[in-house]
Amino acid sequence: MTSAQIARKDFEDAVRSRMVWAVVGVFALLMVIIVAAAGTSDLSDSAATNVIAVFSNIGGQLLVPIIALMVGYMAIVGERESGSLRMLFGLSHNRRDVFTGKLASRLGVITVATLVACAVAVAMALVLFGSVPVVTFLGFIGITLLLGGTFTAIAVGVSAMTDSRMKAMGGAIGSYILFTMLWYPAVAGIHYVVEGDFAGYEAPNWYFFLLRLNPLEAYIQVTGSLADQFVWGIIGWQSIVEDIPNSALMDMNSLLLSNRVGGDLPFYLSDWFAVVTMLLWIAIPAVVGYRSFRDADLN
Amino acid sequence: MAAIETSGLTKEYGNETALSDLDLTVAEGEVFGFLGPNGAGKTTTIDLLLDFIRPTAGTATVLGHDVQAETDAVLDRVGVLPDGFDLWERSSGYRHLEFALDSVGGRENPNELLERVGLDPADAERPVGEYSKGMAQRLAMAMALAGDPDLLILDEPSSGLDPHGIRRMQELVREAAADGTTVFFSSHILGQVAAVADRVGILDDGELVTVDTLEGLRETAGVSSKLVVHLDGRPGADLADLDGVTDATFADGRLRVAYADPAVKARVIHRLVESGATVLDFETEEVTLEDLFSAFTETDAEAVDGSTADDGDPDPTEADGGDPESAEVGR
Repeated sequence: MTSAQIARKDFEDAVRSRMVWAVVGVFALLMVIIVAAAGTSDLSDSAATNVIAVFSNIGGQLLVPIIALMVGYMAIVGERESGSLRMLFGLSHNRRDVFTGKLASRLGVITVATLVACAVAVAMALVLFGSVPVVTFLGFIGITLLLGGTFTAIAVGVSAMTDSRMKAMGGAIGSYILFTMLWYPAVAGIHYVVEGDFAGYEAPNWYFFLLRLNPLEAYIQVTGSLADQFVWGIIGWQSIVEDIPNSALMDMNSLLLSNRVGGDLPFYLSDWFAVVTMLLWIAIPAVVGYRSFRDADLN
Repeated sequence: MAAIETSGLTKEYGNETALSDLDLTVAEGEVFGFLGPNGAGKTTTIDLLLDFIRPTAGTATVLGHDVQAETDAVLDRVGVLPDGFDLWERSSGYRHLEFALDSVGGRENPNELLERVGLDPADAERPVGEYSKGMAQRLAMAMALAGDPDLLILDEPSSGLDPHGIRRMQELVREAAADGTTVFFSSHILGQVAAVADRVGILDDGELVTVDTLEGLRETAGVSSKLVVHLDGRPGADLADLDGVTDATFADGRLRVAYADPAVKARVIHRLVESGATVLDFETEEVTLEDLFSAFTETDAEAVDGSTADDGDPDPTEADGGDPESAEVGR
């Protein structure tokens, strides 16, 4: 049970990090401005769920992962570099307790930060539209919490695998670059090799499946379903590495996965499988990180 | 059962050998001083005992438990004061102690622990980020004492402490030992080891050079403390025939008298004054780590001196510079 003591102690410290709250504050302000602009410019056909679409783009794909990586990347390597890890050992905590306690604590911190960010989104929706569809917003908050969890687990896993702050930071930044800038073109490259050209409007299921293994893509898919409209990624890869007619690019909702795949979606492209994918992105980095930490020389 | 027992304990990093074939036994209830310059492998040994790093070869047990197979049992029974640590700067001293007591199931009163290490309760309310190095060291010692561990492992416990703090630390070690606690502590300053240790192990470049009581070490090394008398002119008396004086040399207006019996110092001064010599000043030179080192490892005293030059050691002999005589005393 000593991991609970570590978690409690670490949460107290980490939740007081001014850096995290400064970033949350700046992004919240940014969100207010963007949502307000989006809401006032085009009220005729907008709904409260538009807020979800806007938020999941800026907030979900930028704010939440970046804060999660910031919250997580120092979790273990920080104690290791400062020597306080020896102190934890001296207080009869073993490696497993340290790792699980730290992971639990940092998941707690990102949950608090994400809830604050989501509260801003809900407040904006209430101000602009007077009411919100409760179930949809609860789903949106849930999936956003899950996204925060995936990036926190990745960062804590990286933190457990590295022996210096700089390497951990590099790993955290690298993971974000991987998911936002490398994953989509890499999958598009595979499509090019296998099929001889880039994916068109319609593409094989495996192509979409590989894309959806990216936790950010999984998140986009679920929030898109919740908002009932297509949600762009940070980078609009569809217009870069796919051969999609301009007409489809203009009518954004035609890009929804359910429209691009003929017939019923196979289970591995469904929303719940996207949730499973994100849970795996918590479990796998945690296990890999712990195993590396367990076997490492810690000096 | 030994408090610490290592057998062939070796740690290599690539081609670098941090610790080579260490065979060491520390009895329960003993105060063991682990002496050596920075980088000799003291912290490596401690890290191996805590399963912080894994040995390349050899085994170690702490209080009868294998450090790798039964790490939890080991960690439950030791208190550790590491060398070079940061505390959790946003938490108060009290919160640190509470965490330490929670962690080890200790029932001590935090204020009582604070008093033992000499930390002001008012300071314990403050966040640790505001602490001086010495305050942090005291707090960490209090945390190490929490739960009354059977073995205290202290890595350079006096670093960052003022002379008063160092004395307090030494008293704490004696108190713990009187209580039956085994104390294993490392230092690169002989005087601090000498003040409390029952036995001393000297580590140099990853190798255990010798283990003995301090008296035994002095005898084996043939180094002794010296009286240095500053004279105006040459000494007018022969001192070598005084009982208790082992050697006397004169150079540059300084008479260095090596002695085995501390009581002989007064007689030396007395005889010099009687002989009509003008005594300007006198001081004592304690045996230093450098002396013992050069005696045991036959390394250049200045090399050892250099490795410890920035430690703030108040030993007055260091002011004399390399002191070539200390290397020759042994033979």
